[in-house]
Formats: sequence, C-alpha cells, structure tokens
Amino acid sequence: MSETDPILRLEGAGRTFRMGEVEVTALAEADLAIRSGEFLAILGPSGSGKSTLLNLVGGTDRPTTGHVWFGDTDLAAMRDHELTLYRRRVVGFIFQFYNLVPTLTAEENVQVATELVGDPLAPAAALELVGLSSRASHFPAQLSGGEQQRVAIARAIAKRPRILLADEPTGALDLVTARQVLSILQGLNRREGLTILLITHNPALADIAGRVVRLASGRLADTRENPNPIDASDVTW
Amino acid sequence: MPVLHRKLIRDLVASVGTLLTVIAIMGIGTGAYVGLGTSQRILEESRADYYRQYRFADFWISLKKAPRSAAERLAAWPEVASLRTRVVFDVLLDVPDAARPVTGRLLSVPSTGYAQSINGIHLQRGAGFSEDRDEEVILSEAFARAHGIEVGDRLHLVLNRRRQAFTVVGTCISPEYVYLVRGPGDLIPDPTRFGVLYVKERYAREVLDFKDACNEITGQLTPRGRRQVEEFLARADRLLSPYGVLDLVPRSRQASHSFLHDELSGLAVSATVMPGIFLAVAALVLNILMLRLARRQRTTVGTLKALGYSDLQVTLHFLGFGVVVGLLGGLCGCGIGLGLAAAMIRMYRQFFEFPSFAYSVQPDLMLIGLLVSVAFGALGALRGVLAVLRLQPAEAMRPTPPERGGRIALERLGWLWRRLGFRTHLALRSVFRNRVRSLTGVFSAALATAIMFMALVMYDSFVYLVDFQFEQVVRSDVDLGMRDEASRAALLDARQLPGVQRAEPLLGVTCDLRHGYRSRRLAITGLSAGHSLTAPRASDGAPIRIPSTGLVLTRKLAELLDVRVGDLVELRPVRGRRTVRRVPVTGEVDSYLGLDAYADLEYLAGLLGESSALNSLQFRVDPGAQADLFRAVRSLPVAQGMNVMADTRANIARTLVETSVVSIGVMIVFAGVIAFGSTLNSALIEIGDRVRELSTLRVLGYGPAEVAGILVRQGLLVFLAGLLLAFPLGYLMVSGLARAYDKELYRLPLVIRFDTVLQTIGLASGFMLLAQVIVYRQVRSLDWLEGIKVKE
Ligand SMILES: Nc1ncnc2c1ncn2[C@@H]1O[C@H](COP(=O)(O)OP(=O)(O)OP(=O)(O)O)[C@@H](O)[C@H]1O
Ligand SMILES: [Mg+2]
Repeated sequence: MSETDPILRLEGAGRTFRMGEVEVTALAEADLAIRSGEFLAILGPSGSGKSTLLNLVGGTDRPTTGHVWFGDTDLAAMRDHELTLYRRRVVGFIFQFYNLVPTLTAEENVQVATELVGDPLAPAAALELVGLSSRASHFPAQLSGGEQQRVAIARAIAKRPRILLADEPTGALDLVTARQVLSILQGLNRREGLTILLITHNPALADIAGRVVRLASGRLADTRENPNPIDASDVTW
Repeated sequence: MPVLHRKLIRDLVASVGTLLTVIAIMGIGTGAYVGLGTSQRILEESRADYYRQYRFADFWISLKKAPRSAAERLAAWPEVASLRTRVVFDVLLDVPDAARPVTGRLLSVPSTGYAQSINGIHLQRGAGFSEDRDEEVILSEAFARAHGIEVGDRLHLVLNRRRQAFTVVGTCISPEYVYLVRGPGDLIPDPTRFGVLYVKERYAREVLDFKDACNEITGQLTPRGRRQVEEFLARADRLLSPYGVLDLVPRSRQASHSFLHDELSGLAVSATVMPGIFLAVAALVLNILMLRLARRQRTTVGTLKALGYSDLQVTLHFLGFGVVVGLLGGLCGCGIGLGLAAAMIRMYRQFFEFPSFAYSVQPDLMLIGLLVSVAFGALGALRGVLAVLRLQPAEAMRPTPPERGGRIALERLGWLWRRLGFRTHLALRSVFRNRVRSLTGVFSAALATAIMFMALVMYDSFVYLVDFQFEQVVRSDVDLGMRDEASRAALLDARQLPGVQRAEPLLGVTCDLRHGYRSRRLAITGLSAGHSLTAPRASDGAPIRIPSTGLVLTRKLAELLDVRVGDLVELRPVRGRRTVRRVPVTGEVDSYLGLDAYADLEYLAGLLGESSALNSLQFRVDPGAQADLFRAVRSLPVAQGMNVMADTRANIARTLVETSVVSIGVMIVFAGVIAFGSTLNSALIEIGDRVRELSTLRVLGYGPAEVAGILVRQGLLVFLAGLLLAFPLGYLMVSGLARAYDKELYRLPLVIRFDTVLQTIGLASGFMLLAQVIVYRQVRSLDWLEGIKVKE
C-alpha cells in the first residue's frame, strides 16, 4: 500500500448477471484500492470484466456483492439520486465509442457536461486543452474518430472530475491517433494530478500507467507497479 | 438556451416526417374537439338566448275552436306562468314568382308588442304593423327570400273563402320556427314551399270567425309545471275536451325544437367520441414513435446518465418531444377546429334561423383542446422514456441486444414460405417481430376504414330513407289538403280537375291510442280500398294491404305502445263524440319518419260515426298538364295546403347532398388522415430502424422500387389485416348508430350494400397508397452510402 489514501476502494465487490436460467459472473469478488492521483491501467482480454469493474467504480452500475467505498460512503448502498450526484461531481467518463450526441456540435457536446456542475472549465478552454479549438462548431459526423475521442475527453475533464475513467479510449483508433489521445491523458495526470483509470486489452498501452492490474475471467490476477512509465508518445504495437 | 433544448430542436427537425404524421392526427383530434365543441356551444347559446328573449313556449294545445273563457280558466292554473291564445290556419297563397300554389301557415300575433309576446317574433326587415291598415302581413324571412318578396309587396291570400290582398310590412324569424318545418313529418325546411305569415290578432279573428275564440293555446309554465308537463297536458286535455283538442304538444315534441334538440344531442356525442378516437390513435402512434426514438437514443440516455444527469432531467428532456408534438398538434387542431366550426355554422345557417348566429372563437375550448393535446403528447412520450430509464446507465450504453431472431410461425409452412421470395420474408418477419407496432397499424387501419364505412353507410341510409318515405310509401305527384272534411263528392269533383290521372282520398283522424299505461296521440290515416298512391310497406319494402278492419301500426309506434299484431288498443278520437273503442292491431309496417298508423278509410270513418269522409286528396298527374292543375287548385275554395311531391323530393335530395359534403366529407378526410398518417408513420420508423439493411440492399444493386417494395409489402400486410377487422368494427359502429337514432322523430335504416364495401376499400386503399408513394420517395432519396456507415 502506498502512503497516499485511496480515493476509491473495492471491497469484495462482485457483479453477476442473470440471463434467464444461467448466471454469468462478470466480476468475482474483487479487492482493489485506487490511489488519489495515480494512473492505473486495468488490463485484460475481452470479456474479462474490465468494463464491469469500471461501471462499479463509476457509479453506472451496482455490485451484486461487496462494497465500493468512496471515502467512507458505499456506492453500493447509495440511492439513485445520490449515485447521480456522485457521477455528476466525482467522475468523468471516456467511452470506447465516444458516445457523443450526434445532433450537437463539439462545443455543445462539452456543454452537455459543463451545464451540470457549478465550477466547470469553459467548454472552449476544454477543447483548447485537447487541441480542438478550431473544430468547436463541427458535428461529430464531421470529425474523425480521434477528434471525436478528444471531444469526449474535453467533455469528461470540463467537469473537473476527481477521477477520470477511460474505457478502451483508443480501441477504435490507429497508432498515431492513439498516441495523441493517450498523451493528453498522461499530461492531465502528470500536470494536474488527475486520477485516471485506463481500461485496455492491449498490454503495450499499459506501460504508460504507474500501476497495472490484470484481470482474467472476472478475477484480479495480479498487480504490477510501474515506477517508470513510458511516454505516451513512445507507445507502439 | 440549455444545450439539451438545442438537441431537442435538432432531433425534432431530424424526424420531421414522422412527427408531422403524428401532429396531423393529433391536430385532427383536437380540431374535432374544438370544432364540434364550438359549434355545439354556439348553437346551444344562440338557442338559449333566443328562447329566453322571445319567450319560447312550453306547450301548445291546438283545438277545433275554444272560447276565451276556456283559456282564461286554464290561465288561472298555478303551474301556468302565462299563456296566449291565437288562431292558426294553413292557407294556400298566390306568390307571384311561384308556378304552383304555396302553403302558408297563418298565425295571429298582437299588432303591437309582438316581440315580447310568448313565441315572439324578431323583425328582420321592414317596420312591422302600422296603425291604420288591417291587411298587413309579416313573413318568415327565409320564405320571403326564397320567393324574392320585398317589404311593400302585395300578397294574395284566400281567407275564409275570400281572396284578400295583403301588404308585406316586414320579414321576421321566430323561436317556434328556428327550423322552418310544418311539423314532425317534414324532414328538411323548404322555404319555397312553406312559410309562416303573421297577421294582426284582432283582424285574423274577425275574418276567420273566431271572435272571442281561438284554435290554439300556447304558454309558458312555472319551473314546477315544466317538470310535470305531460301530466299538465293530460289535465288540460280533460278541461278543454268539449272544444275538440286536436293536439297537445309539450316543448319536447315541438317540431322545430325537436330537430334542434336532436342535432344538439348528436353534436354533444360526436364532440366527445370523435376527438376521443382520434387522440387515442394519436397517442398510440406517438407512443410507438417515442419508443423507437428513445430506443435509438439508448446510448445517449446512458451517456447522459453516466455524465450525471438525473432521471428527472432525462425524462423531462424526452417528454419535451411529446409536449412539442402535442403543442404543435394542438395549435394545428385549433386552426382546424376554427375552420370546422365556421363550416358547420355556415351549414347550420341553412337550416336554423337565429337573430344572432355568428361564429365566434371560444378561447377556453381552444385552451382545453391544447392542454389535452399536450397531455396526450406527453403521455405518448412517457412510455418510451420509461422503457429506457429503467436501465442502469451501464446497461443502456451496451449495444441493443439483437432484434428477436428466430422463426416466425409462418415459416413452418415450408412449401408456402419458400414460394414467397426473400423480400416478402423480410416484410413478414418484421411484421411479426414488431408486434405492438403492427397491431397499432392494424388497429389504426381498421378504425380509419370503419369510420369511412360508417360515413358511406350513413349516406346510403339517408338515401334509402328518402326513397322509402317519398318514393315507395308516398307515390303521388301532388297532395292536396282540404279545409274541412269533405264528402265523396269532392273526390268525384277532383277527378275532373285538369291533368289528374288518378285521385285517391285520404282521411286523417287525430286520435289517442292507448295500450295499458302507454299512449300516443297521432293522426291515423284512412286509405280507400285499392289505394295505390300511399303504399305502406314492411321492412323489406314489400307493400302491405290495409285490411278492412283494425289498425296497421308502424314498427316504432307498435314498439312504443308495446303491442303486437292481434292485440287490442284503445282508440279515442280527439274530436267528435270522442267515444273510446277497442280496436285490433291487424298489421305492422315500417317507416323512418314520425309515427304513423293506417286503417281502411270506411272503417275509420265508421269508428267516427261518420259516413265516407275525406280531408285530403292524392293525385297522379300528367306531367304536361301540371300547370293547368295548379291554376285550377288556386281557385278551389276547399283547398288548404298543397304538396308537390317532386319538389319535396328534389329539396330533400339537394339538402342531403349539401350537408353530406360537410359531415361525410369531414369524416372521410379525418379517417383518411389516420390511415395515411399511421401507415406513413410506421413506414418512416421502419426506414429509420433499418437504414443499414436497406442501404446494404441498395449497395448490392437493388433499385429503390425493389427496396421500397419490402416496406410496401409490410404496410400492405398490416393494412389488409386492418381491412379484415374494419368491416366487423364498422358494422358495430353503424348498428350502434342506427340504434342511437331510433327515435320518434326519425329512424335510420341500416342499409349495407356490397358496393359500399367496395367503395370503402377503394377509399382506404387510396389513402394507404398515397402514404406508400411517400415511402417510395423516401427510399429513393435515402443516402445509402451514409447508411452503411451508421453504427448500430
Ligand atoms: N448486462 C449484461 N448482461 C449479461 N452479461 C453481461 C452484461 N454485461 C457484461 N456481461 C458479461 O460479463 C462479462 C464481462 O463483461 P465486460 O463487458 O465487463 O467485459 P470486458 O472486459 O469489458 O470486455 P471487452 O473488452 O470486450 O469490452 C462478459 O462475459 C459479458 O458477456
Ligand atoms: Mg468492455
């Protein structure tokens, strides 16, 4: 354990899905502490439960067993509206398929998030951070995949979240574009001390994180500290 | 503006086609509510004002001749608020422009203060009666207009066998003749053939030998008296029986009032049922639309929730769709409603005469219409939102599970299935997999078609009714009323009139018919043996011979009296010796207007204790010699009223067409919008859902018509299923209607022709195909290169 307090702590948190007769254990009871300010990568093959874990942490789903501690409150015990407030104030999401609202421009998509909180970054400033000031009035359909993902990052950080959750943010991108996106994330972590949880099935990406947790078949297999993470711009696969 | 509003607007614009179809259906529902409600209210208020201001009476008692003292005794009764005596005569008059004699009803009114008297008259043109002349007349406005008579013109009347010249000093309308008909037997006003002539009270009595006497008492009752009007009339009947009580009419049976009342109650029903149906369909269609929209925005909903939007915020956002659609539909509806109300008031003006009968905007009805429309819109949207909101955000963001796969039942019929081709397969699978959507489509198509069917059947029923009553039952060319009962000799004289090919006598005797506690007062028609110009008929149209004894009753009358053939009824003439007799019911016939009873003329005269009498004549006339006959009749002193049946038929036929254009046309258009809208709506939703699939087919080399063919097939399947249901549903509706209109005044025959079924199918298919044309154009303009890139 590190000297820093964990911002989030999974304690025997598990999630099973019931599909008619069969029960699928997406995540077996997991214990994991996420430290404030760390860049943590969750690595695992497809279907290993990565997204499930992320959803438990992000308050978009509830564990079927165990607890998810945020400070001394348990997300598992929160009521719907408390969970909404948690999502609104604490976490920022970046999705694999960007999930931009197709009928809103880049800037408006950021606004969707900023209108929710009291002290957001200005949407223009958030776009500036991801280098997209010139595309502010473009609709998602007019942007490339990488650009869309950068808009999604701007949307996530504009709320000034305490923790950024990125689910395969480069899953649909080529190497060069992926490096760009990852650099932004790494920069946010290094410069602003933002806690980041990066999910990926690609071991090469995990090297940019300070710690790597491996998931296999819904179980936490091992944890590896990575004291010297590589620069995102040096990532290759 | 919050950014979600911007999203809302852009989403609305993006699905404008589908929304327009819903807005149209919504608009029609609201329009029906606002339009019918406005018409109903204006009609009702005009009537109430008019009745109050011009003191419309509560009862009418018509008598042979009663002295003033008798009326004074009646006036002293506590339940009588006030009454008035008058003389009433139907007269033949010479109108300069009319080729034929015209019947007028002469009514005496006070020479001053006639606006304030009971059944007051409202002067439209002219200055009214002067003080110095007696031979002055005020005419029904419609009658004067129909004959081009101006104030100051002269008019000749035959009064008490003397021809007199009158000066027209005004035209007027009156609450007694809002619907200007002679009596309940008249279906439609015809001011060219009938009008009311108001003459000075004192003068009329003098000329007509009614000094200190009257032949009608009319008056108003106290509120308590009004509640027991039938009982009051029964007592009045006993009091006045020495003076020959011909008829006792409470307000509820007064001809003009009854027609107005029936119209209003029909309107009240339509004003709730019609909008209800349309709004329900709109809500269903909107619901499906919203379900799709919300499903298509599943990821967005999940994302918004993941970002921290609360359920309430998301719900409100999506409700916005419904509210906007409801609002636009409601606004459309207000416009449609105003148009509809204006058209209906214009139509009513042809039939009903009020001092002020102007169309006016009813803001509260519009507001209610708008609110209801918005509520239905929100309701329709709600289910769609809730379906998505139930999901946890993580769940919502997962790709939608693939559509229910698997075979549909039909596929088990392998030999049939294999013959159908893959595009029919696609269509069939889609129909059976989207059950709710398909069922809504089937329901809308069935309902729309049933409404069209009902409209057409109603038209046929009217045509049948007119044909039955005015061609089949009454077969004469000219009917002539006599001033008094005449003897057989009059018939022989009449046969000598120019152009008369056949003449038959009629004897009308007003009687009370009683069976147990049920009774009705009506004129029994006596027909001579071998009569052919009046031919009472059974329901199937077969003519019925009038037996030489007993009474033949019309179906409705028998039902009201609860008698069957073979039963005895008590018959009491209202004048003469008024002896009660028990007579057998020896036959039943059908009729759709009023209540009738027939008997052999000799038998009826015998019951009265009089030898062969007659009081009207029916003629078959050589068409070439009509003018000669009319001229001869004019100078016939015994002639009182004349009815040229060809004119009656023409008038009814014309009016029928005019009114049908409005009511049946509106119904068909409204139903058409449902058929068109729901078909188009589900096709557009289908296109939206299947862009990828349809685009792929286009890429593979299928033409737009071939691709659209899948959707057209689907629409056709749903439509055909709807058609199967439509006719049972339509039958229920028309038979319900026929039951609702089974009244004393008139009844609606149920006439269902095979032609009508075909016409209905043709009409409904027309609207459906129109929608398919748009579907085709949508598919043709589909950006299929873009379509294959769409991420599911
Ligand atoms: N809502 C659900 N209903 C049923 N099963 C689910 C559900 N969500 C996840 N699963 C199952 O749980 C397991 C873990 O899923 P999860 O999405 O967490 O995998 P993942 O590691 O994110 O995979 P990928 O890399 O493909 O995104 C899978 O077997 C998946 O099928
Ligand atoms: Mg995943």
